[in-house]
Amino acid sequence: MTITVAVVASTTRYMTVIEEMNIFFNGKIVVVARGVFIIQAFPIGGILPESVVDTLKDIDTVETVVPMLFNLNFKLENEEVQPFPFDVTIGIPTGNWSVLVGSTTLKNGSWPSAESDSRVVVGPSLAGQYNMTVGSTIEIEKHELEVSGIMETRSAFLSRSVIMPLKLAQETFRYPMQVNMVIVTPNEKADENELSDRIEKEISYVMALSDLERNELTEPILSQVETWNMGIKSVLFFLSMVLVTVVAVMNVSERRKDFATLVAIGASRGFIVRVVMTETFLIGLFGGLIGLAFGTIGALWLGSTYTGIPITLFFPGVFEVVPLSFMLEILVSTVTVSCIAGVIPSIAATRMNITEVLRAEY
Amino acid sequence: MRIKIEDLTRKFRVGSSEITAVSMVNLEVNEAEFIAIVGPSGSGKSTLLNLIGLNDQPTCGKIFIDDVDASLLGGGELRKIRLFRIGFVFQTFNLLPTLSALENVELPMFLAGKSQKEQREKAVRLLENVGLRDRLYHRPKELSIGEMQRVAIARALANDSEVIVADEPTGELDSKTAKEIIGLLYNINRNRKTTVIVATHDEKIVEIADMLYTIRDGKLKFEH
Repeated sequence: MTITVAVVASTTRYMTVIEEMNIFFNGKIVVVARGVFIIQAFPIGGILPESVVDTLKDIDTVETVVPMLFNLNFKLENEEVQPFPFDVTIGIPTGNWSVLVGSTTLKNGSWPSAESDSRVVVGPSLAGQYNMTVGSTIEIEKHELEVSGIMETRSAFLSRSVIMPLKLAQETFRYPMQVNMVIVTPNEKADENELSDRIEKEISYVMALSDLERNELTEPILSQVETWNMGIKSVLFFLSMVLVTVVAVMNVSERRKDFATLVAIGASRGFIVRVVMTETFLIGLFGGLIGLAFGTIGALWLGSTYTGIPITLFFPGVFEVVPLSFMLEILVSTVTVSCIAGVIPSIAATRMNITEVLRAEY
Repeated sequence: MRIKIEDLTRKFRVGSSEITAVSMVNLEVNEAEFIAIVGPSGSGKSTLLNLIGLNDQPTCGKIFIDDVDASLLGGGELRKIRLFRIGFVFQTFNLLPTLSALENVELPMFLAGKSQKEQREKAVRLLENVGLRDRLYHRPKELSIGEMQRVAIARALANDSEVIVADEPTGELDSKTAKEIIGLLYNINRNRKTTVIVATHDEKIVEIADMLYTIRDGKLKFEH
């Protein structure tokens, strides 16, 4: 059960993060370099000249164009590089923050006000991990940057983000006049899919992805993870059922004398079934609870190992990593599986021959 | 309760051979009698008592309980007779190890659906009667062998059984404790008018029994 909770909770969390990323640019077209690998809206690698912004603005059905420089695996001082999807920096032209963060507010400080600003806004998880407050200085790629604000968000993605003016990002990561994604908002008259086709036609080196296309890119990954989850769950639940059956059969066989005595003093077959089923129910309940406890710790540990985020930072958001509904599902499934596993031993307990058992036990 | 046994036979198959543990036994037990059945090990005493206690089915022959043929009764009716009318005392006591002395005595009353209060009051009274007032909450492993047998006797009386079937109740006990248990069974028989059927080697029981039977190779013989 521990393994089920740890593995399934971790993969489910991964899926949640990916699904969460899709809502960032809802109704918008994401333009990236042709051929790059995309996870939901975000490109892994691939560079576009910043001049692509002007080309896009020239298209008559385009309402707004916001370029971004999205960078993974940035290095805070003395820290190891961590893999996706945590720890990202995003450069956006000042004043366009809402394109990415939506209605997210700052719990402290303010957004950088000018392109020349060397100030950044950080996610609450990063701020907590590195004890950042407004006014703290952080070093990324040998650039000293000042924290101007800390976001108030529960988004796993934004919680681990550093957001800064586009120019500052280009300078910090040495991508002058370059971006790696552009967010295009179609105007009222435009059809999102038609516009994305048109962009690809007019600018040969880009991919323009509508909501539908982004979903289609991610769908196979999510469905594969889902299938693996189901497979892991099924196999582990089956193993649990076998184990509980074995434990219950051993339990019944070790207490044959007790069950025979119960029948001899007048217990009904139904009573014996209830005794065995209650025991397997309790095995399931307590096994499930213990499995949940260890599995949750396991999921947090996996998350911590995978992202490099200290495990203590996961504790306040433990129900995001292992949601209550998932805990309930696991507990109900475990108890159900245990009760099913109790059927064979309970039948075995009622079918024993009292005299033979009592004779053998003397 | 009257018990009448006619041509009772019980055979067991062991590997390829067949063993006749009880052979053509005839017996009549009337209310409030104290009956002793004596025989060497393997003579068929326990098999006969299990048949009388309705724990086992005969290969052939009949057992009548108050003139009702037990072979015609269903599992539920046999269970009710075991629960309410016949109390079984095992040589090895067969107390449930996870329950206290009190809970072991309450168990048949619980199975009979009596109220918790009634269970508790009666179990305490029965344990007091068998001299275990100070041992109510002890588990079997915390009791001496004699005390365990007393609890087993109290359990057999929990639902006011009309018959106590005791399979070598003093077999595991030292002579002093055995004497006490015999006295206890005798008092139950005389004071409560409970029929007692005992399989035993114990000469003391033989002395106090109203009727003595011997059993050898599964054949029962009336002695006096």
